[in-house]
Amino acid sequence: MTYVLGRSAPVAGKTDFHRPALSALARLRATNSVVAGLPLLLALCLLWEIAPRLGWINAIFFPPLSAVLAALGDLLASGEMGRHVGISFQRAGLGFALAVVVAIPLGFLMGRYPLFEKATDLLVQTLRNTSQFALLPVFVLLLGIGEASKIAITFYAAVFFLLVNTIVGVKSVDPLLLKAARSMGTSDWDLFRKVIFPSAIPAIVAGMRLGVKASLFSVIAAEMLAARSGLGFLIQNSQLMLKAADMYAGIIVLTVVGLLLNYALVWIERRATHWRQGDGDQPH
Amino acid sequence: MDRITVTDIAKTFTLKPGQFVTVDGRESNAITVLSGLDLTIRKGEFITLVGPSGSGKSVLLDIIAGLTEASAGRASIDGELITRPDPRMAYVFQQYALFPWLTALQNVEYALEVRGVARAERRQRARHFLSLFGLGSFEDRYPSQLSGGMQQRVAIARALSVEPEVLLMDEPFAALDAQTRDILQSELLRIWERLETTVVFVTHSIDEAVYLADRVVAITARPGRVKKIIDVDLPRPRDLDIRNTPEFGRLKGHVWEVLRDEVRAAQKDWALSTASH
Ligand SMILES: Nc1ncnc2c1ncn2[C@@H]1O[C@H](COP(=O)(O)OP(=O)(O)OP(=O)(O)O)[C@@H](O)[C@H]1O
Ligand SMILES: [Mg+2]
Repeated sequence: MTYVLGRSAPVAGKTDFHRPALSALARLRATNSVVAGLPLLLALCLLWEIAPRLGWINAIFFPPLSAVLAALGDLLASGEMGRHVGISFQRAGLGFALAVVVAIPLGFLMGRYPLFEKATDLLVQTLRNTSQFALLPVFVLLLGIGEASKIAITFYAAVFFLLVNTIVGVKSVDPLLLKAARSMGTSDWDLFRKVIFPSAIPAIVAGMRLGVKASLFSVIAAEMLAARSGLGFLIQNSQLMLKAADMYAGIIVLTVVGLLLNYALVWIERRATHWRQGDGDQPH
Repeated sequence: MDRITVTDIAKTFTLKPGQFVTVDGRESNAITVLSGLDLTIRKGEFITLVGPSGSGKSVLLDIIAGLTEASAGRASIDGELITRPDPRMAYVFQQYALFPWLTALQNVEYALEVRGVARAERRQRARHFLSLFGLGSFEDRYPSQLSGGMQQRVAIARALSVEPEVLLMDEPFAALDAQTRDILQSELLRIWERLETTVVFVTHSIDEAVYLADRVVAITARPGRVKKIIDVDLPRPRDLDIRNTPEFGRLKGHVWEVLRDEVRAAQKDWALSTASH
C-alpha cells in the first residue's frame, strides 16, 4: 500500500452516514498510516532515551536519544552534516544520472530489437549478477580513491534496475497501440517517442525508485570503505573516533533522507501514472 | 467510381518453428489465410464484411490499411498501389486502441498531429469531432474514466477527424452491450451520411451487417475469398425500426443462407486442428 505524505485521511464523518456505529478498528483503518504508525515510533524513541539512562545498555556505545539529537544539532549548526550529505548526494546523483543516460537508450534497444537483445543479454546478465560492492576494489584500483570510483559504484548499483525495468516497459507496450499508431501514419521515431516511451514510463519510474535507493546506499557503503567525506564517512569515522552520538546522528539523517526520497519518488510515480484508474486524485 | 480495388489477393503466414496447422488432413508450417480474393469498393459506399471466424477478414483490412503485405495480388486506393499506411485511410479496432495516457481530446489531436495539422486547428477540429459524438463535456477524461461505448466514440472521432476517404472498422461494436451498439450504429450512419466517407466494416452480426450496409460481402471459410455480394437496397436514412420490416428479415435470411456452409466448414476445420493436437 502506497500513500503520499501529507495527504489527508478519509474523513470519518463521511462514512458515519452509512455506518453509524463505526468501530474503533474501522476508525484506525480510516486514519492516515503515518498518524497510525506514530505511537510505535514514539515508543521506540522513548526506549532509546531510557535504556541507556537506566543502564540497560552501555551509554558509551548507545547514548540516549537526547544526546544524539544534541550531537545532530551541533553537526547541523557547524555545517558539517550539510557538507557531508551534500557530497554524498552529489556522488549518488551523478552516478544515478549516468545510469539513466546509459540504461534508458540501451533498454529501448534491447526491448525493441530481439536480435540486439540476444547479442547483449548474456553480457548484461553476467554483469548484473556481480555485486557492486565486490567491484569497489576494482573501481578504486582503476579509478583511484577519489570521486570517480564512488560515482562508478553508484552507477553500477542503479544501472541494472533501470535497464531491466526499461526493457520490461518497452516490451509491455500493447501491440494494438502500435498497430493503431502505425495505421495513423506514425513514423518509427515518433513511435518511440509518443507510444513506446509513454507506455514504458510506469516501469521506468518504478526502476528509478529502486535505482535511487540503490545508488544512495551504495555511496554510503563506498564512503565507509574508502573516503574522506560524505555521510558514510561521517558515520564510519565517528565510530572509529568513539563519537557514538555523532554516528547515530548520521544514521538518523540517512534514514530520514531515505524516507523522504522514497516519498518523493512515490509521488513522482503517481504523477507519472495519474491516468491509470483508481488513483483517487485524477483530474476531472 | 471505384475507391478501393483488391485484386487476386493471397496471404500466407509462416508459423513459428514447432507450430503446425492441419490443411486438408496434412500438417503444415504455413497457413494460407486469404487466396484469390477480389473486391471492388465504390466511392462513398458502406460495405460490411461477414465471414466465419478465422477467414481472414482482419488480415484483409490490415492489407488494405497498408499494415500487412499481401503474399500475392494487389490492393490499391484511387488506382494507387497501397504499400504503407495511407493518409487517406483511418482504422478503428474492436478494442478501441486509445492511448491511455492521453485524454479524449489529446487522443483525437494525436491523429491530427501525425498528419501535420497545426496546433490551433488541431484543437478546434478535435473538439468538433468529439462534440459530433456527444463527447463535448468529456474531452479532458482519460480513457480509463470512460465507458466502453464512450471510448469507442472517441476512437471513431479520432479516425474521422483526419477526414479520411476510407474508414476501416474491424468489429468496432463487438465489445459493447446491445443498447450501446444500437445507439452507435445509428450515430455512425447519421455521421457517415454527412461525411460521405467510404466505410469497410467487419462484423459477426448479420443484423448489423444488413442494417448498415449498401452491400454485404460474404467471405468463405479459410482460405478466405469473396463468396457472394448481397445488395442491400433498403431506403436511407434508416432508423432502427427498419429491422422489423419483412424486407430486412428476408435480407438477413439470405445472408445467413450464404454463410451457413462456410461457418460449418470453419467449425470442421477448427475441430480437426484441435483434435490432432
Ligand atoms: N501474424 C500472424 N501469424 C500467423 N497467423 C496469423 C497471423 N495473423 C493472423 N493469422 C491467422 O490468420 C487467420 C485469419 O485471421 P483473421 O484475424 O484475419 O481472421 P478473422 O476473419 O478476422 O477472424 P475473426 O472473425 O475471429 O476476427 C487466423 O487463423 C489467424 O490465426
Ligand atoms: Mg478479426
